[in-house]
Amino acid sequence: MKPHFTGLLAGVAALAASSTFMLPAFAQEQPLVIARNLEINSLDPHRAFCDTCQIYLSATYQGLVKLGPDEKSVVPALATEWTANENQTQFTFKLAPDAVFSDGSPVEAKDVKWTFERLKNVKGDPSFMMAGVQSIETPDDKTVVINMESPNSEFMGILAAPYVGIINSDVAMENGASAGEDAATADQAETWFLANSAGSGPYVLQTYRPDDELRFVRNENFWQDSPPIGEIVIDQVADAVSQAQMLQSGQADIAMQVDPDTASTINSPDIVIETVPSYNFIYVVFSPGAEANQVPLDLEVRQALAYAIDYQGIIDFTVGGEGKMQASPIPNGFPGTEGLPMPEENLEKAKELLASKGLDKGFSIDATVASMNVYGVDLALLMQKVQQDLSRINVTVNIQPVASAVWREQIVKPGIPFSARFYAPDYYGSAQYVQFFGMIPDSWWERNAGGQGKVDVVNQREVELLEKALSSSGEAMEQAYHEIALEMIKDRIIVPVVSPNLVLAYRNDIEGVRYSACCNLPLAEISRK
Amino acid sequence: MLSYIARRLIAMPFLLLGVITVAFLLTHFTTADPLTSIIGERQMNNPAVVAAARERWGLDRSLPEQYVVYLKNLLSGDFGTSFRTRQPVAQDLLVRLPATLELVIAAMIIGTLFGIALGVIAARFQNRAPDNLARLVALFGSSIPVFWLGLVVLFIFSVQLGWLPGPGRIDSRMPAPPFVTGFYTIDTLLDGNWAAFRSVLAQMILPACVLGWTVTGIVSRMVRASMLDVLSQEYILAARAKGAGELRILLHHALRNAMLPTLTILGFSFAYLITGAILTETIFAWPGIGSYAVAAARGLDHPAIIGVTIVGGMAFLISNLVTDITYALVDPRVKIGARAAQ
Repeated sequence: MKPHFTGLLAGVAALAASSTFMLPAFAQEQPLVIARNLEINSLDPHRAFCDTCQIYLSATYQGLVKLGPDEKSVVPALATEWTANENQTQFTFKLAPDAVFSDGSPVEAKDVKWTFERLKNVKGDPSFMMAGVQSIETPDDKTVVINMESPNSEFMGILAAPYVGIINSDVAMENGASAGEDAATADQAETWFLANSAGSGPYVLQTYRPDDELRFVRNENFWQDSPPIGEIVIDQVADAVSQAQMLQSGQADIAMQVDPDTASTINSPDIVIETVPSYNFIYVVFSPGAEANQVPLDLEVRQALAYAIDYQGIIDFTVGGEGKMQASPIPNGFPGTEGLPMPEENLEKAKELLASKGLDKGFSIDATVASMNVYGVDLALLMQKVQQDLSRINVTVNIQPVASAVWREQIVKPGIPFSARFYAPDYYGSAQYVQFFGMIPDSWWERNAGGQGKVDVVNQREVELLEKALSSSGEAMEQAYHEIALEMIKDRIIVPVVSPNLVLAYRNDIEGVRYSACCNLPLAEISRK
Repeated sequence: MLSYIARRLIAMPFLLLGVITVAFLLTHFTTADPLTSIIGERQMNNPAVVAAARERWGLDRSLPEQYVVYLKNLLSGDFGTSFRTRQPVAQDLLVRLPATLELVIAAMIIGTLFGIALGVIAARFQNRAPDNLARLVALFGSSIPVFWLGLVVLFIFSVQLGWLPGPGRIDSRMPAPPFVTGFYTIDTLLDGNWAAFRSVLAQMILPACVLGWTVTGIVSRMVRASMLDVLSQEYILAARAKGAGELRILLHHALRNAMLPTLTILGFSFAYLITGAILTETIFAWPGIGSYAVAAARGLDHPAIIGVTIVGGMAFLISNLVTDITYALVDPRVKIGARAAQ
């Protein structure tokens, strides 16, 4: 019996081996495989909001404009030309005459109007991008005029985001989509969008199996240069080590979430490892309005705590030195960040500030963090490093890791005195950071850090400067964001601690792999050598 | 026996109703609001978005109302829509359950065969080198963490030696077979796609061996203990006295009687692995029910949590029934369903 069983195993292993090794001639025609933790919340362009969603949407849909290769300028996509009025309240677009959707039907102004109205009315995660749009006019099939309620110089940046891709409205409506004011409940198309795409992008969705794979095939009706790779699969692989192993064994062509530690173990000449700065960052945050605060977290106390943090030590500890410091909640390289002062560790100053508040003997502070590893940083581990740093000024940090969903509930009510969190850009533009992190009325962090109005943390100067930034352009806009960033640093509510570098790991027969601020990984640019 | 099986089958829906009710109440009594996993952070402060989401997902209704609606939908096979995957839970389960079953069945076959073989050898050579070796294997099987073992075998057999493929159910460059049973081994054969069938088999070897090794450890220890007990019985001595061969004594006379307690363990192991293969599924990127359950729990995905609980409950109920029936088949002394002698 035993010899038979051994023989069976040997046979199966032989079969396995024969399927593992592929002849080189076939390699060029093989689908490109990307190993990645999918974590997709939806494939409906107006409900999707995740890193993989950015890759998916930018491959299957096209916006009016897109982010240029310099990662800063806006270049034509479906719109060939556009104008904005002087005070940034009206934007006019001319659509490309030959632009067609993947079913071959022309992209028309009605599709743009319908798409933007659905994005706003469906009240999904990216709906905020259409906030402030007052009306959309379509004087002819190829012209779109968008009127804003107030100046918004960042609107072109928003339109380059993958979430603002134009949908084939006729096809979507046939499948239950609605753009009316009651779209939040009337729209029934989300399930359809999980199995179909309806855009004009270089790829179309072939299959999506949650927690398994996302498969694209080339859009045969693509109206611009056809993408080099015919079929792309994003394979669900949650673990960084498994991703690296798939890459080394040739089972994957690109591994997207290999952390620096794992990358250092890859010694194959067939693998290219590139480490590039990212726009993602991890920050710690103080909430003066949280119910559990044992001492008032006023400005001097927050400054003292920020001075006690060993920023370089955190970068070394969390990502093995593969990261950058970040001055303000607006990430390095975004408008207004040039020349900002980097965070400084100064224990003497920290002790001095605490002494001035009568807290030289220290105090305790509760730190609840989500149990998650994001961009290679384990938030609980990061907080342990901060715990060590703050112990030097007699501050005891009580760390409590919780599930992410629990964190998100607690941060709203009753509030969390001290925490760590992460952020990645939704599009290229600085206003999103001011609107989320700034101490302006009703921003996410103004409400949560202030305990839903319990403590006044509003910085009126930021409100004025944001208004100025949104109604100006060029250098004036840059200057306004620079001043806002300085104000946000002074607030000491949000303290960025590390901007982790991104590891791009891919096989050496692949080229065109790059990180994009808007789209994460532009699939249509990838080719085989 | 038939009336016993019928009684057990009739009792099942009532037991399941209890499981559903407890699962429903437990998930809804957690302190965290599931909306936090449905809506993004930025929109949680937007009352219009929050209200729209509550209405869309039926979270604006009272708990009893939600429970009645859930039961009503369940009767028509509707397990609700997953908050996380945004797909019907029934559809999610239909895809994931065969994936896990396929892996677990392969693991059980490997684990049981090796476990029995090791147990028999260990008992036959008690306190000698083969016994010590078998016990060592059993010890490793039950003490080495699956996530570590998984990564190590991947590194050795996939990365270093290149003998076997890495994570996944099928080579990523191949499309999945058309869905018929959800078992890729069967569906690729039905599709007549031999290349895909070979790929599926190859993909299954490492995760099935890793998962099966935990079963090997448990089974070999149980078989060894039972065999030692049986081998000391007088009828074994009688068989030897009659000149029966050693192999015949071991496999025919001893093993059959030693299998009874092992069957209980196998039954529980099978049900446990269906929902407990999470680590193996994660390391080998196997889209099964275990990883689905954990993701559901993390994401406060109530419909998915209840759906998995129903599947888990059914797995235990069915495996218990099958174990009891197998008891009777293996050992004629066992009369299930018969009333105790007066």
